[in-house]
Amino acid sequence: MKSKLTWILTSFMVLCISFSFAQGKTISGNVTDQAGLPLPGVSVVVVGTTTGTQTDFDGNYMIKANSGQVLRFSYVGQKTTEKLIGAANAVNVQLEDDAQALEEVVVVAYGLQSKKKSITSVSTISSEAIDNLVVTDPQSILQGQAAGVQVVGSSGVLGAAPEVRIRGNSSIGTDSRPLFVIDGVPLGDDFLTGTQGGGQGLNPLASINPNDIANITVLKSASATALYGSRGANGVVLITTKTGGTDGKVKVTFDVNTSFARVTDTPDLLNTEEFIQVRGLNGTNVVSQGADIDFIDLVLREAVSTSYNLGISGGNKQTSYFVGVTYEDQEGILVGNNLQRTSFRSNLKTKANDWLTVGLNFNGSLNKFDRTPSENAFAAPYTIAGLQRPDVPIRDADGNFTTAGNVGGGNVVAQELLELNLSTQTRIIGNMFAEIDLSSFVGGLKFKSDIGIDRVSVEAQQRDIEILTPGGSAFNSIDQQNRLIATQTLSFDRTFADKHTVNVIGGFAYEQNDRRSIAVEGTGFLSDALLNVDSASLFPTTSSNGTASRLVSQFARGTYDFDNGKYVFEGSFRRDGSSRFGANNQYGTFWSAALGWNVSDENFLKDVSWIQDLKLNASTGTSGNDRIGNFASLGTFFVSPYNGNSGLRPTTLPNPDLRWEKTTGVDAGISASFFNRRLNLGVEYYKRTTNDLILFVPLDGTFNNGLNGRNENVGEVENSGFDINISSVNVNSGKFKWTTNLNLGFVQNQVTSLPETASVDEAGRKFVALGGSFSGQRAIEGESINSFYLIRAAGVNAQTGDFEWLDVDGNLTTTPTQADRVIAGQANPDWVGGLTNNFTFGNFTLSTLFNFSYGNDIFLNTRVFTENVLSGFNKTTRTLSQWQNPGENALIPSPSSTTIRNYQQASTSQLEDGSFLRLKNVTLNYNLPRKYFDEAFISAVRIYATATNLATFKGQGLDGYDPETSRGADGNGAIGEEFFNIPQAATVTLGLNVSF
Amino acid sequence: MKTIMKKINIVLLFAVAGLYFSCDSKLDVLPEDNIVNELAFADESLALGVVEGMYSSAQQDDVLNGTLQLSGEWLSDNVDFEGTFPTFNEIRLYTIIPTNTSISAFWDDNYETIGSANLVIDNVPLVDVPTFTAGEKAQAIAEARFMRALVYLNMSSFFGQPLQVGAGRANLSVPLVLTSELGVEVPRATLGEVHDQIEVDLLAAISDLASGTRVKASPGAARALLARLYLYQERFAEAAMMADQVISDSFYALASDYTFYDESGSTEHVFTLVNNADDGQDSFQGFTGLSNPVPNGRGDAPFTDNLIAAYQEEIGDLRFTTLQQTGSDANAVQRIFTSKFINFQNLDDDAPVIRITEMYLIRAEGNFRASTTVGATPLADINRLRQRAGLLNLVALNLNQILNERRKELAFEGFRRMDLLRNNLSLRRIGMPDVNLSQPGMNGTIYPIPQDVRDLSPFIEQNPGY
Repeated sequence: MKSKLTWILTSFMVLCISFSFAQGKTISGNVTDQAGLPLPGVSVVVVGTTTGTQTDFDGNYMIKANSGQVLRFSYVGQKTTEKLIGAANAVNVQLEDDAQALEEVVVVAYGLQSKKKSITSVSTISSEAIDNLVVTDPQSILQGQAAGVQVVGSSGVLGAAPEVRIRGNSSIGTDSRPLFVIDGVPLGDDFLTGTQGGGQGLNPLASINPNDIANITVLKSASATALYGSRGANGVVLITTKTGGTDGKVKVTFDVNTSFARVTDTPDLLNTEEFIQVRGLNGTNVVSQGADIDFIDLVLREAVSTSYNLGISGGNKQTSYFVGVTYEDQEGILVGNNLQRTSFRSNLKTKANDWLTVGLNFNGSLNKFDRTPSENAFAAPYTIAGLQRPDVPIRDADGNFTTAGNVGGGNVVAQELLELNLSTQTRIIGNMFAEIDLSSFVGGLKFKSDIGIDRVSVEAQQRDIEILTPGGSAFNSIDQQNRLIATQTLSFDRTFADKHTVNVIGGFAYEQNDRRSIAVEGTGFLSDALLNVDSASLFPTTSSNGTASRLVSQFARGTYDFDNGKYVFEGSFRRDGSSRFGANNQYGTFWSAALGWNVSDENFLKDVSWIQDLKLNASTGTSGNDRIGNFASLGTFFVSPYNGNSGLRPTTLPNPDLRWEKTTGVDAGISASFFNRRLNLGVEYYKRTTNDLILFVPLDGTFNNGLNGRNENVGEVENSGFDINISSVNVNSGKFKWTTNLNLGFVQNQVTSLPETASVDEAGRKFVALGGSFSGQRAIEGESINSFYLIRAAGVNAQTGDFEWLDVDGNLTTTPTQADRVIAGQANPDWVGGLTNNFTFGNFTLSTLFNFSYGNDIFLNTRVFTENVLSGFNKTTRTLSQWQNPGENALIPSPSSTTIRNYQQASTSQLEDGSFLRLKNVTLNYNLPRKYFDEAFISAVRIYATATNLATFKGQGLDGYDPETSRGADGNGAIGEEFFNIPQAATVTLGLNVSF
Repeated sequence: MKTIMKKINIVLLFAVAGLYFSCDSKLDVLPEDNIVNELAFADESLALGVVEGMYSSAQQDDVLNGTLQLSGEWLSDNVDFEGTFPTFNEIRLYTIIPTNTSISAFWDDNYETIGSANLVIDNVPLVDVPTFTAGEKAQAIAEARFMRALVYLNMSSFFGQPLQVGAGRANLSVPLVLTSELGVEVPRATLGEVHDQIEVDLLAAISDLASGTRVKASPGAARALLARLYLYQERFAEAAMMADQVISDSFYALASDYTFYDESGSTEHVFTLVNNADDGQDSFQGFTGLSNPVPNGRGDAPFTDNLIAAYQEEIGDLRFTTLQQTGSDANAVQRIFTSKFINFQNLDDDAPVIRITEMYLIRAEGNFRASTTVGATPLADINRLRQRAGLLNLVALNLNQILNERRKELAFEGFRRMDLLRNNLSLRRIGMPDVNLSQPGMNGTIYPIPQDVRDLSPFIEQNPGY
């Protein structure tokens, strides 16, 4: 009782003191937005003093001030408004939307920044750019849209993960994929499905629905990604999903579209007559089995897909929401390749009271893949189509499927029609956050707590049938990944003395990642009608395993700017502890520092009317790469049974010192707009040095118990280059508007150091062979990280009919050895980019996107098989060009030449220039004039047509092959490697979009 | 008041959260399904697990489960190659290059098994658990020495010229790695040194091994392997004597017919590596995958016409009539395939490593060439095998006939190449492709040292011609 009294008295005294100092009057009023709705949380300050307050839940405020002073009202997204205090004690204000301010906010690590004050290297992809694309995964959105971001579609099979490289390839031994973060939740992107012959399993990000994405920010430099610490080195892609508005209106959009897809290009194969001729010329008499089949036609199809998407969003100043649902029924261009996807999303945010905001983002998706094997598998239809003899029928006289005589003993058509090969993926991604405004205690202070989950469950079901797998076989597996991400941050954002703005965020994060898998397999079925392992008689597989990793982090970022961003300084710090690293090096520290100068704010440029937003910035920082699997630092034995007894075999060598790959980046950029922002230019130079490369340093297994190496931190790779972005408004004359955006990324990649233990080539250079490649790609010291090391082919000698190569000294030879291999090319392009043009004419808009790549080489491993005249397989029509008489220019040597037996060995015969220009996307929109629909009910109707991969310009050597090719998104030595990759589809989509 | 408490609470919460989330122990995550090195020899159970693991390592197709064995047949005259693998095709066409990944895998996987054996030999004596008796330890080590000897005999056959060619015992063979200590580099040993080590290991192992098993190392298996070594070394009298010791062990006896191939209990087997449905051959390129016709197998390895002709010299050879199947090869042609390995569903045919039949053949050849009659006359031994094959007895015998019987008994099991080379015969018969390249001593009759090994260990000399 007594203490309560004391408190009341004290409060009273404090109040009195305030009164005595303020000596002004009480001003009160109400703040509303342009729609007249009350705005809570508006900052109200007396200019030139430290006196300030905020509007309450109903938009009301009260503040002490004197007549003649100025009140400043500011709120995110609204134009800051100032009012002179006159005689009246009530000052009501209606704020206006500040469109410019809204546009110029960019998403950065753990927050938002105004574009003006953003001084590290980021690229943003706006919702307008995304809306025009018809894509099925978030990686594909990035293609051609951001300077320095290379996206290579790895295959035309549904669910293939595109390969994404941001500013080059900075890792030899681990993975160079960037980190994807959706609404602040770092996504798990482990491949949980089997490869089925392709370079990798199904795209782990295929469950992210592109329709839900509002915008994407790509953090490119080490300084921008330092706040993601041990996972930032490959760049970070921040996905922000759609939210509702605040204007009280409900917006409903419904979109339906149908796509028609067909393959872009395929090799020409021999028909039966030609096949018999080629085989006969090379000494094998083939008796036709009667058919004459174009197998590529048989395994590819014109695919039709439909997609429905419904989005409902709305909200007011207190609560906003977005609810979206998508259903898609997709056919792949490959027979038997289908996808049915259903995805829901609900994003909700509400201001519970004047200090608490809570929100929930929730996404559930169900993707049902009907898979088709591809590339390096006997059951891969496209591969078999290239190899299968054209004369061997796939059905007998009675129309039953046959297997005899088919490559690999299967029948890929029967397989796709009759067998089960399903992968059902469910994913739940959600995060809930609470933001507590502590500005009543310390102006500008906020606390935010965010809990996220990311759960993926993949069920695979396969059933092979009697005629293809005698006895039948069933396989069933469930793989689950459960991730929990907890983040607590304190942030502080305040402007002092009108000129000094300080923005600080600091926090803790914890991530746990658990994976479990179970799989069973059964063989020996009585009938194909019995589907599950339960009905089998033998059980070759019963497995269950688990693995886990943990990451604990502390991080902070501080930004100071002077005079509303004229000078900006930023520094950040992160300390990560990861269970993945060696006991001696579990913690790593990462940091960044940046400074920026908005030159346009200087007085000497104020009067220069043709230049705006001139900004210079420079930054440096470090970030890491932890993609090495969970236990790479441990020496272990794995369990391997013999005769029913459990046994142990050594599998890895330990390295308790294993630590992060660390990338140190230096960046400098200049950006400016000209002629009232009709022309915008941004140029950035960067140099990224990655050292402590985690490399599986090869050891000769001969002397290491059969183990072929261990993970070590050795070597250094450097990527340097320029990112250039130019956008312009070429024409803007009322009815007609034409804008252009060009982005270019130049990158030069060099391995600057390799360990002493590295292999040494014939020329004395140290190198590391990249395991994932067919061609024997190497990371060579002083050269590209993806160098092709091959014998140079000179072709068939027109006089002798011998195939000739160049020896190491450049002399012609018909008996090359491995010592004649030289660096013959490299898989990384010198530059990549995209060119977007948008035309608006009345109700029509036309958008085109070209993407391109220059200076990279591609190794067509397919040719080793399809151009070998001595094999029993079918071949491409290139084999018709075989030398028979002196003077002939031919591709294939004489049947009697000794080189006929080895001309197909890996050489530059299979290496082609991979440069290309592709018309990636053309979209024509027509907004139906309002007179055709009831405006009271429908607000807009848009009819659109989109074409994807409509035209591709590439070198002749790539005839029949897709220039976008890789063995997958994962691992090095994948890029530039082709092996029966299914080319991309060319797709035409017709759609209708109605808004209510 | 209330709001002040709230503020304090929040700051406290933040501080506690920070403490909680920076807790080091969260980072101590261990694998759930592997054993860390420190524990691998911690007790008897784990140490014996490494012994089992050594056999498991030998189950790799490249070690004892057929790829290496059939690759030798492709170089020779028994088996054609019709499949898709360019690396196998190189072997068949005598166009092997040192980057051949299959040959690289042979080397690698065999040295894995040697590594497992060395780990057992070095670490089992150090296991300090009272229940793990000296006898049990000695047996574990003896098993490892047997397996090491077996793998070295195979490796020395493929990666260097045999005794009968060139410098003989001084021919370069494979590096003789006898320690599990990491990184102890040695150059290629001579064939003589490798053979001597095999002999030392086997002789030492015999007394410590437990008899009564056909599926693991045993004294009989060690003696049988010695007999094979002596035969390769042309120590014919000792070969006959050692083979005779195995034959006189009543644990072994010729099976009455040829149904013993996947019967690990059959008296036919001296050592057979057991494969199970859940632990079978590890790729589709072992005995079973390669030698079954499409679609049961890959259809890669049919009989050569020459082998068919050899069987058809006499009517009714049961080794042909009961051990064959007709089906489609990888190129859609109907061919004859062996039916020695027909469990295509799970690729779990056992690997026939040492059969008692081989001991009869060694005793016959050894006695014949040493002009002795240890145990039985060569004619009696050969006729015993011919009787089982449903053929008439021979009345007289020459070396060619012994080798011919050996060929027909052991076809598809990986013996043919060495049997030809050690008898100075070309690997291919006249009329077959590349007869000239297959002459004894030709570069292509042995494999190159894999390029990836030489990239890391340039001091390992390459074989001529590669």
